[in-house]
Amino acid sequence: MTEHAKPPRAVFLPFMMGHLFGVPFHESLQRTVLMEMLSLLEQATDSGTIRDLDLTWAQARREGKAILAER
Amino acid sequence: MTVGSSKGEKGQLRPGLWNVVNERYPGSMIHKDDCVPLARLNKPLSECRVAFLSTSGVQPKGSLPFDTVHPVGDYSFRRVPSDAACSDLEIHQLKYPTFGAEKDLNVIFPIERLRELRDEGVLGELNASHYTFIGYNMDPVHLERTLAEDVAQALVDDEVDVALAAPA
Repeated sequence: MTEHAKPPRAVFLPFMMGHLFGVPFHESLQRTVLMEMLSLLEQATDSGTIRDLDLTWAQARREGKAILAER
Repeated sequence: MTVGSSKGEKGQLRPGLWNVVNERYPGSMIHKDDCVPLARLNKPLSECRVAFLSTSGVQPKGSLPFDTVHPVGDYSFRRVPSDAACSDLEIHQLKYPTFGAEKDLNVIFPIERLRELRDEGVLGELNASHYTFIGYNMDPVHLERTLAEDVAQALVDDEVDVALAAPA
């Protein structure tokens, strides 16, 4: 979808719809996504750049469950 | 700057989805031949005014709800004060799962994380308002000529340096 919309630069996240910044109360993950956006903003040299992040939804969910269990 | 849901040719999560939607709903998908020119930052992030754009349908409680059932969509937008508490916001959107956002709005609208980055000096300042709308809009030409133009003009009027956009 992002490739077709052709934004000047974008970060790709293999996360569930409605959860592009991660899972509830996982503040470090939410911050990581924002920081990656800001990083690409500064570093992209070509329009159309799409950066894939080394993150998975499965890992985010596992970490999210652990965070919820501690609350 | 956006976060998105796509992959390179080798890693398409749902190959052919774009063509399938175009066949079933002709004219509903935006079409572009070229990327817009890259606008580079002309000052450090720590001096930039930042706004967040979202298709999440997040809006202040008490504001006119987005029309989530109109057959061709709702081309209006809402201003969300960047200092708003999550408890003062609500979601009017039917097209994506909101169970995470109902626990913690930051999973789709990271308003608290943005304030932290501002407070730490990573960002210069937050614009007084973030901007939200809904993603279900079936006329991309109308969207570009109205909603997109309206939001872009608002960002220019606000003298925003950086607009971070995220779909829901």
